[in-house]
Amino acid sequence: MAVAEALEIRQRTRAWLGPVLVVGALAGVGLLVRTISGAGLGAVRTFLLVFGSLLVEALPFILLGAAVSAMIEVFVPASVFVRLARLPRGLQMPVAGLGGFAFPVCECGSVPVARRLLLKGLTPAAAVTFMLAAPILNPVVLVATAIAYRGRDVLWPMVIGRAVLGLVVAMAVGWVVGSRTRGELLRAGRHPEGHDHHAGPSEGRWSRYFGQLADDFTMLARYLVIGAAVAGALQTFLPQQIIGSVAATPVLDVVALMLLAAALSLCSESDAFVAASFVQFGMAAQLSFLVAGPMVDAKLIALYAGTFGRGFVRTVVLVVFAVTLAGSLWIQVAFG
Amino acid sequence: MSQAPARSWSPLRAASAAALAAWAALFWFLLLSGRTSLYLASRTAWVVPVGAIVLTVALLGRLATLKAPRTERLPGRTVWALGFIVLPVAIVLALPPTSLGSFAASRRSLSAGFATASAIDPGDRVTLAAVAAGVWSEEARRALVDRAGSRVTFDGIVTRREGSPADEFFLTRFIVSCCVADALSVQVRVVGAPPGKFAEDQWVRVSGAFYPVGREVVVDADQVRAIPQPKDPYLNV
Repeated sequence: MAVAEALEIRQRTRAWLGPVLVVGALAGVGLLVRTISGAGLGAVRTFLLVFGSLLVEALPFILLGAAVSAMIEVFVPASVFVRLARLPRGLQMPVAGLGGFAFPVCECGSVPVARRLLLKGLTPAAAVTFMLAAPILNPVVLVATAIAYRGRDVLWPMVIGRAVLGLVVAMAVGWVVGSRTRGELLRAGRHPEGHDHHAGPSEGRWSRYFGQLADDFTMLARYLVIGAAVAGALQTFLPQQIIGSVAATPVLDVVALMLLAAALSLCSESDAFVAASFVQFGMAAQLSFLVAGPMVDAKLIALYAGTFGRGFVRTVVLVVFAVTLAGSLWIQVAFG
Repeated sequence: MSQAPARSWSPLRAASAAALAAWAALFWFLLLSGRTSLYLASRTAWVVPVGAIVLTVALLGRLATLKAPRTERLPGRTVWALGFIVLPVAIVLALPPTSLGSFAASRRSLSAGFATASAIDPGDRVTLAAVAAGVWSEEARRALVDRAGSRVTFDGIVTRREGSPADEFFLTRFIVSCCVADALSVQVRVVGAPPGKFAEDQWVRVSGAFYPVGREVVVDADQVRAIPQPKDPYLNV
């Protein structure tokens, strides 16, 4: 009896030890940050401010994406997606690409939604096309782009070019990954932290909904923190003058702004105001910033790596950069 | 007759609720303390109240569903993973309310090729945003030249470059479009400042006559005084 009691006490102590250690570690980090920032280390302060700002801007969208994802999981029957999956692939991809008009999610929110659509039975081509196109092809983003470029000769080429090229690039990636199965595309053995996936039908719908929401949020927030840290480090230690020095060099200027978009990791709903300020860069470079940025950036790469299997990030980066480069140069020649 | 299984309090669900609570607390803190402007531009500041509300709704939903129909354990790995998610909350809460400083100014110069403001209209006050526009826009630069010698008052932080005379410094202000991630610095050279009086990164108000010289703007200061950090430390354009 005494042994059993001792075991129970030991188990209870162990159960509290982890959380207590974590809270202690967080308090320690807080104290360290306070000390370092008080010591006047400019690089550390810059990194922490950029890191914090990226998270403050992106985290609500991760949660909104998780909320939509949980709604799909709990309230939309799988039969809907099975019927959609029966449509020809040539039709599924453009329809999925235009899905952003119905679900105006930004790039962070579209990742959990696409993952859920895949798990519910939508084809990989359609789910990936939706994921990449929705942050660009949605009314909020296109109106913001029009406002950013109002009064300029390139207003309509930029707005329409962003929408059309965004759809083309998303479909190109969807087509490339379309031959893979769901199992090959998603990261193997990936269960969200929180492990509420055990919640079965014995639980009410709302219990399952909030469980799913917490699951998706805690899984994606982890990768968002990593991505924001990488983006913050790039921004702190990579002088932006390097980018400006290639403004007048054809092709290189497009590549430079795509790389800058990847490093800045801006939200698609406000990136047009930044792109419009690159006045010494040509139209093709600005367009590439607006198309490639919402599909490939430091925080998204971390989110993709946490959600999808090996090789997915490489495929997305290569296809997005290649098609955006060719497409934006073509649009500049045709309409610029 | 079968009985419904007894529901027990789940430490696993409580831990994820704690992570949501930490983030919700941060967003409410930013909103109520007015620190949003240290991270976001006015254009994107709406994200903070929206974030505070959706995080609170998610938290309340999780709290209402804390009981599970079976025993759920809280693995140690999960505790540390959730701690990692909460790490940025601890960092942002611990950071003093300061804005970007001279280190960022040295790497985020407008000469990297950004200009977001339009030229000043005749009769308007010369602002740092108008100075920023003059860096790359010929029209905006001409508008500045037309106003050469007029009196200006600029607020910003003190930054210095190696080899500058003792009575000179650069008054620096950051321009933010979306969030601090896209911040770029606009600088004016201040001449005639009291030597050694103002430290690097100190907020000051400079008044004097301004003269555009090439791509640079010089302010011949007749008054320089220390001021507290403004509520909105970044210029939003």
